[in-house]
Formats: sequence, structure tokens, C-alpha cells
Amino acid sequence: MDPQMMVELGALTLVGGAALIAGVAEDLESDVGSQSNPNSQVQLAPQMGYLHRLYNKAISGEPASYPFYAAIGASTALAVLSVTNNYSLIGVFFALVAGAFITSLIHGVYATTSYMGRIASQSRFGQPVYLDVLRTHTPVLMAHGFVANFSVLLLTWVLIEQNLSPFPFVVLAFIWGIALGGVGSAVGDVHLGTDRYYQDRPYGSGVNAAHSGSVVRKAESGLRNSIDCAWFCSKFGGPLTGLGFGLVVYLHFWKEVVVKGWWSPVAGVIMVIIFIVMNVYLESYSRKRYGTYKEESE
Amino acid sequence: MMFDILLLVYIVLGGIFIGAGVHFIPVGGAPAAMSQATGVGTGTTMLAAASGLTGLIGAGSAYAVSGGDFAYTIVLGGVSAALMISILAFIANVMYVYGAGVPLSSAKIKYDPITKWRQDLYVSRGTEGHGTPMVSFISGIIGALIAGIGGALVFFALAETYNKIGGFAATFQSYPAPYYIALAAAFSIGIFFLNCVMASYNIGGTIEGFHDPKFRRIPKSVAASFVVSLVGGLFALLILPMLTGGF
Repeated sequence: MDPQMMVELGALTLVGGAALIAGVAEDLESDVGSQSNPNSQVQLAPQMGYLHRLYNKAISGEPASYPFYAAIGASTALAVLSVTNNYSLIGVFFALVAGAFITSLIHGVYATTSYMGRIASQSRFGQPVYLDVLRTHTPVLMAHGFVANFSVLLLTWVLIEQNLSPFPFVVLAFIWGIALGGVGSAVGDVHLGTDRYYQDRPYGSGVNAAHSGSVVRKAESGLRNSIDCAWFCSKFGGPLTGLGFGLVVYLHFWKEVVVKGWWSPVAGVIMVIIFIVMNVYLESYSRKRYGTYKEESE
Repeated sequence: MMFDILLLVYIVLGGIFIGAGVHFIPVGGAPAAMSQATGVGTGTTMLAAASGLTGLIGAGSAYAVSGGDFAYTIVLGGVSAALMISILAFIANVMYVYGAGVPLSSAKIKYDPITKWRQDLYVSRGTEGHGTPMVSFISGIIGALIAGIGGALVFFALAETYNKIGGFAATFQSYPAPYYIALAAAFSIGIFFLNCVMASYNIGGTIEGFHDPKFRRIPKSVAASFVVSLVGGLFALLILPMLTGGF
């Protein structure tokens, strides 16, 4: 095997692993902070008369906020590198840590103002601002955000070091941030929105639109907070999001590293066909396993 | 030095492709996270951008590796975007089936036009369907392919223009990326978002794919994309005469 390809494959494995961790951390961050599609339910709950102790920060959609975190982190890392001028492994590592750290501080500021603003605007429905929720949840979501952003910066740096993408560091981190937010918002949110927020409803059906806003507010012990939701979602939603983003990044570069030239798009098409076949199987399995909701009337 | 008119045509065509491609992508929006709507659970603009810009990364690599080969750049851009959305929709479906315990179904059609499977009986009460059934899955792949090709066309046109600017083919220190690729990537992202947002206003919330009645609104989007890409592309390309001194 070509030695250059061996190095690239090693880099690709590292990139795939970093993407997996980024996906898990990103989804759990959005579960703690309730920043994603299910946030609509948390936002609606006080208006329906269900007061809760869940965190509420929809700074923006995940695919919009993560690229900006990644871009801030990447710019900071480059600024640190231009000052230290130390491009050794340890120098780059600490520059990336500095980038992710500054990002998590900015994340914390946004989260605090967003929580205070959103909850305070619901005071007319009697929703109190819980300062202990703010105090306990904000560091948790900042920490998850730190892990997610550091992983994105790391994978972007490895891709650029190995010359796998001609894009500049900040732009590439920005694009991977959009992809990460897209996967986190599409996959992990379903576990939180359909299952965790509506655990008192029968399992195995979509949430009836008439029940919107009636989120579960009692926990296994005491009142439920958003850290409980992250605990629950770390069993399936988080890892699956990580798998999704890991596959996106890994397969994207696999088809360019392992096969070259016109075989790359051919490999891509074959992978798409494999996913279509697996989806047919999955759909047929779900129909047979779960059955219909209504009797056939005609 | 004036820019090549053909490249402006590529940008306008790319913009139209992006705007049209967005209409194919099954978007469930926020309700999809509660299994209340068919499609992938995130916003229209964001899903299209997530897949289309992953395609742009593929197009960028292809452009750099092949030394500016048009066909290779375009094809790899489209395929990369299609691959991204097929992974995303499949993993989301795994979540629906094994995490939420719902079958994949759509309330807008009685039979899936591709698999011919009955849909309405599998829609749970008070919802519009859940997950991404086969017809939406295929529609999403077609949409991402078109949007990815559009993004790659825009990127190709901008990269071909900017590498004529003196000094832009240089690189920063030992960094492998030349300046013109950086500028082309940044402007392509801009033109991509312009067209995605136009299309998402045209869709207005959720869409299931080419079988959705909202899909018939596509001509309006094409007209809007034409205008917005023409203006955006003109501004992006006029950097060339601006920086090289005179028209």
C-alpha cells in the first residue's frame, strides 16, 4: 500500500473519531440547553399552564449557532498560533484548546442572556426564573460545547495538515459546524422531543399536536431539569448523532482518499445506493414490527 | 481585465440549481422532532446548506486535486452532497424506528409512489406522518445532488475568476490553500445561503419532496434565484476588474 495513503487513512481515523465525539457532545449540549427543535415545546409549556424547571435557550437553530462557534474558535486558534508561532504538535493543541475555550465563554454569555430573556418574557404566565437552574446548567452546557467545538477544530486541523481539503481553516471549520448542527438537530432531537419530553404518553407514536406544550415536568425523583434529559439522551440520541456525524465526515473523505480520480464519485454513488437499500429494509421492518395505527376501513 | 461572461452564466445556473434543489429536500422542521411531520427535523435553509456545503467541500478538493477540471468538480460536488443527505436521513430514520418506535410514513399521500406501500394507516393520531419514507428519501437525494451541483458550479466560476487576480495564487506561509480558493469558498457560501433562504421563504415551513403539493411553487423560486444570483454573482465577479485596475 502507498505510504502516503497509510498516513492519510490514519488521519482519517482520527478525524472520524473526533467527529463522533463532536456529534455526541453537540447533541447532549443541545439537550441540556434545550436548544433545538424540541425547544418549541419548552417555550410553549408555560403558555399552556405547565410551569417547568427546564433550561430554555434557543440562541438560534443548531446549524446556525455551531458554524459561528467553530468560526470563532478557528479564528482564535489562528490568532494564538500567529502570536506563539509554535506549529509543533503541542503548540497547535494548546491553540485549539484556547480557541474552544474562548468559544465556550461566548457560548456561556449567549446561553445566560438567552435563558434570562426567554424565561423573563414568560413571567406573565407565572413562570419563575430559577437562578439555581441557570447556575447549574450553564457550566454543563458550556462544557459540552467545549468538547464539541474542540473536536470540530481538531478534525478540521488534521484535514488541513494532511492536505485533504484546500479550504482555509476558518471556512472549513464553519462548514463542518453547519454539518454538525444539521446532524445534531435532525437526529438527536427526536429522542428528546418525541420520547423524553413526552414520557407520560404511550410509547411508539408521534406526539399528537393537541398535546403540544404538555412536557413532562416530574422526574424519577423530584422535579425534572434539563440535565436529567441529557442523562436520558446520552443512552441513544447522543451516540446516534455521533455515529451520524462521524459517518458523514469519514465516508466523505474515505471516497477521496482510498479511491482516486473518477472512482471517487462512483464510490459515492455506490454508498448512496447502499444507504437506499438499508432504508428500504428499515422502513419495511418498522411497518411489520409496529403495525398500523388504524383499521383499514374500505 | 473583464470577467468571463460564461462564468456569470455558471453562477446564475448554479443559483437556480440550488434554489430548485432545496424544494426536493424533505424538511420536517421543528414538528419532525416530535414525530409530528414527515421529513428530516431541521429548517429548510439549514438542511440544504448542511448537505450542499458538504458537497462544496468535495467540489473544493476535486478542483484542487484535478487542477480545475470542470466535470470532475461538478460531479464530485453533487455526489458528496447526496451522500451527506443519505447518511443524515438514514441515521434519523434509525432514530425514529428504534428510538421513538414509529414506522416511517407520510400523511400527504395514500401510497408511496416508489415502494407502493400504504401510508395513511401508519400515521399516528394527530400527526402528519413521521420519519423519511422512501419517496421523501429519494427526493432528498435528488435535491441534494442538484443543490450540490449548483454549489459546485458557483464555486468553480468564482475560483476560475479569482485565480487571475495577481498574487492570489500564492499561499499563506506553509499553508497549502491558495488565497483565491479561500475567497471563492467564502463567496460560494454566501450565494448558497442567498438561494437557500429565497427557496425556504417560498416553501414556508415544511415540505416532503417532489410529491408534496408545495413543490408546484418551484417556478417562482427559479425566477427569484435567477434575479438574486445574477445580482450576487455580478458583485462577486466585479471584484476581478476592481482589483486588477479598470474594466
